[in-house]
Parts: sequence; structure tokens; C-alpha cells
Amino acid sequence: MEAALKAIAAPHRRQILTLVRDGELSAGEIATHFDVTRPAVSQHLNVLKEAGLVNERRNGTRRLYRARPEGLVPIKSFLEGFWDERLEGLKREAEREERKKRGSND
Amino acid sequence: MEATTESTAVQRELTIDASPDTVWEFLVDPEKAIRWMGLDASLDARPGGTYRVEVIPGNIASGEFVEVDPPRRLVHTWGWEPGGMSKSVLPGSSTIEIELVPAGDGTTLRFTHRGLPSEEAVQSHAHGWDHYFERLAIAAAGGDPGADPWLTGDMT
Repeated sequence: MEAALKAIAAPHRRQILTLVRDGELSAGEIATHFDVTRPAVSQHLNVLKEAGLVNERRNGTRRLYRARPEGLVPIKSFLEGFWDERLEGLKREAEREERKKRGSND
Repeated sequence: MEATTESTAVQRELTIDASPDTVWEFLVDPEKAIRWMGLDASLDARPGGTYRVEVIPGNIASGEFVEVDPPRRLVHTWGWEPGGMSKSVLPGSSTIEIELVPAGDGTTLRFTHRGLPSEEAVQSHAHGWDHYFERLAIAAAGGDPGADPWLTGDMT
């Protein structure tokens, strides 16, 4: 999940995901949409691939990329319970601190 | 679910076996705050002071403290800084209110997050993946982004 979060934190990588959402594109085709170098696009694609957000398919000498939206599922489940989990954490930490202050041995 | 208003609120209430003073420290002391939320925090808890927390990698929530009444009531604005995944819940666009009420030896904490955009409002200016990231951002703030057409395969 950490990898997916980092992957979507970069605006260029989100734009790449948008481009390959509905169809396969090669790195070269993706590069024509951006003011960044081809190697930079390849680098972004590697990050997205390792995070499970794009699929890579070889077609002869070409590599084609397509978005894999199910890669976002773990992030979605994490974020849906966001405040509940944060507030549970606050409760746990405040109670631990309070026990320390009261010098309790339990 | 029908979204009929432009904004929605999230409310939570929980009981904590710790005094309001102790709970308060976890709201305003950056060292203690990151024990329950975020990776890094910069908190200047006085009216007009800065609230800034890196909640998840690359996604920073920021705002400004509005009311600071220790250890009873804390109000600050809240939103995602540009550069992260959200473009509609901007800093200053929503408000978090936390009330601490003594309850025996413990504390009742009332949490309200208001001013979150409704699903309808988000749909009007977000498309494709951006739409998806907005849904995540609303869910992150505790809101209900509604059924997800992407994950259920209904999106055409």
C-alpha cells in the first residue's frame, strides 16, 4: 500500500494513469503527452508497475501499458476508515500516557 | 444515498480513559500528535497558528487554528495541500472541531469535521482518475463518497 501511495503522490504519474486507463499505450506514446524525457516516463512506469497500478504487456518489440485500478483497493480500504482509525489511535495513546502519569503497574 | 447539500459533516464520539489534560496534549503537542496521526506534524496551537500534518506520504493536511481553549475545545481548518491526491478539499475549506468533556476519571471526545464537499459537488469538477482521487480524499476525511463505480465495474 505504501508503494501505491507514493506512486500516486506524483502528479505526472497520476496523469499517466489517466492516459492508460481506457487503453494500452507504449512509453513513447505516453511521452508525447508530456514535457518530460522518455527515460523519465519509463522511470514513472516502473514505479507504477512495481506498485501494481499498471500492467505491462509485450507485443513484439513493444511494451504496452494499461492501468490496473484494482491496485488502488488497499489504499481505498485504508482511507475509508481514516478518522475511525486515527481516533482509536488517539484513545490508545492518551490512555497509555495516562497510565504512565498515574504510575499504574498494570 | 442522496447527496442534496453542497457539503457534508462527519461526527464521531468516543470515551477515553484519560483526563482532558492528557488528551489535549495529544491534540496540540507535535511529538504526541504523530503518535496517532501522520508522519510529521507542525502545530502552533493559538488562534491564527499553523496546523500542518503529513498524513500519508506525499499528502499533507494543513489549516489554521481558530479556537484554542485548553483542555475543552479546539477548532482548526483542514484541507489537503496541492501536490497530493486531492484538488477539492483545499486547506481552509473544511473545519475540524474537537470538544473534550470530563466524564468521571476520563474524557468524552466529540469530533466534528464539517465543510467536506458532497459527492455531487465533487463530481461537477472532477473526472476519471481525478474523480477517483477525490473520492479517496473524501473517504480519508471520514466522508462517505458513495458506491464506487470503478470497483464495482459500473463505470462506462
